[in-house]
Amino acid sequence: MGETMNFKPLGDSALLISFGEVIDEEVNDRVHALTKAIEGAGFEWLVEVVPAYSSLAVIYDPKLIDFEGVKRAVEGLDVRAERVGGRLVEIPVLYGGEYGPDLEFVAQYNGLTPEEVIEIHSKPIYRVYFLGFLPGFAYLGGMDERIATPRLEKPRLKVPAGSVGIAGKQTGIYPLESPGGWRIIGRTPLRLFNPPREPPTLLRPGDRVKFVPISREEFDELYRAEWGNEND
Amino acid sequence: MIELISVPSLLTVQDSGRKGYRKLGVPTSGYMDDYSARIANYLVGNSGDAPILEFLLMGPTIKFNASAVFAIAGDVEVRLNGIPIEPWTSHWAKRGDILEVGALRSGLYGYIAFAGGIKCEPLLGSCSTYAKAGLGRPLKAGDVLNLGYAILTGREGRRLPEELRPDYSAEEITVGVVLGLDLGHFTEEGVRTFLSEAYTITPESDRMGYRLDGRAIEHSEKGAGIVTGPLVPGTVQVPPNGKPIVMMRDAQTTGGYARIGVVASAHLHRLAQLRPGFKVRFREMSVEDARNELFKKEKTLEAIRLFLEGRLRAYRIKTEKMETIAFAGE
Repeated sequence: MGETMNFKPLGDSALLISFGEVIDEEVNDRVHALTKAIEGAGFEWLVEVVPAYSSLAVIYDPKLIDFEGVKRAVEGLDVRAERVGGRLVEIPVLYGGEYGPDLEFVAQYNGLTPEEVIEIHSKPIYRVYFLGFLPGFAYLGGMDERIATPRLEKPRLKVPAGSVGIAGKQTGIYPLESPGGWRIIGRTPLRLFNPPREPPTLLRPGDRVKFVPISREEFDELYRAEWGNEND
Repeated sequence: MIELISVPSLLTVQDSGRKGYRKLGVPTSGYMDDYSARIANYLVGNSGDAPILEFLLMGPTIKFNASAVFAIAGDVEVRLNGIPIEPWTSHWAKRGDILEVGALRSGLYGYIAFAGGIKCEPLLGSCSTYAKAGLGRPLKAGDVLNLGYAILTGREGRRLPEELRPDYSAEEITVGVVLGLDLGHFTEEGVRTFLSEAYTITPESDRMGYRLDGRAIEHSEKGAGIVTGPLVPGTVQVPPNGKPIVMMRDAQTTGGYARIGVVASAHLHRLAQLRPGFKVRFREMSVEDARNELFKKEKTLEAIRLFLEGRLRAYRIKTEKMETIAFAGE
């Protein structure tokens, strides 16, 4: 798979390997396969690998190796082109109401009922292309364009952790309380980022995600189990 | 044990950073100025990566509840029980002593190291504060910190000669930058602009990133947006307005703006110390040269460590053209 890999220095301590500027499932599969191969090769100079949509960064210790050395080592890997089978993670979501204040708007904007929005949003199996932007934030692919909705004109100052939102053709989950302009349609009681836990994030690059609508009672029960009394 | 009596500005615990979690979206964090921070650690006999206090512009007032050896890295007035003492020197404090660290005369970040380091429960392998994700929090008055165990005898009185202290007073600096990332997103003129203009640090700069102002860098017809890709500290992103942003220690792990290059990692601490209103110029540097700069920095820091431990002697060499310090072995 070496013929379309493009190596560029990302400074003096990292290197970027790009498969082109595309958002594509097969290309992303190659990114994850190569990530796994590099991580598994036992290179003593390796600090970490950071995958994204169609490229990955290999962060290395420049005291032990240089750009050309990393490039040669990566080109010499036997990367299996097979799909990297990520886990399927079910994410329970309480849609609408106080936890999903923009559900009505998303429905109206797209000429649907709120129930239809929930059905369309919770139907697909989404791909975790990679994590970035915030700890535990997953770039998900696979949302049905029938529920695409532009961002808020004025971002909210505080969006609670676990909020599930739509921005344009993207959907995502806020792992932490933060300001944000996504249209919030629901909330998951699960903790997307929980630092003492290892690994600290619920989702990992290459995972698959399915949203599962839940009731208020189920939400409260799961929330208590996941967060304890922390936010009381 | 130490107690914070007053904390006039951002004060955090930092170490050499968090490694291995960028793929989960967790930034590296760590010392903004690793050069000063490592020297502060060496002054008190710690390894270069021990957890220490990092302050922004204004230092805290600290009360010692037990004997300790400490050192300050920064161009700053320091008092112990009201009596002026020297920074870049390790001092002994006893129970009840009050340490007052003033405002930096130059530079942006100062460091306070304690023999044994600050004791902390590492989160994801590091004590570095990244408050946004609940990995530690900024310290406040009343906070009490435990220090790691260390034999204090012989750790005080280590002094870094003035000639070896970093000078962060220059209002304009030049840093090396490795080009070659998203160059297709810039016109030739845009790259020339980036490499020839001076850019001013704006007040909208913090541990996440330094936003610069200056002549706009022209994008090509491909525009400022890229398919979101990885970033590292030092990456220079150029958003649609053409004004570069340099990613710093707390920066997000991926970004969607075209990356024109990455600052040489040996130079990033100098940029970190540049105050708002001051200027930076970027000089193109090959990846090999940037790596050599890193070796030079490591060599200097290693010589400083051995000198402070009394294992190397320093000689002042004066010629007509220059004055420098050389080290010689035992």
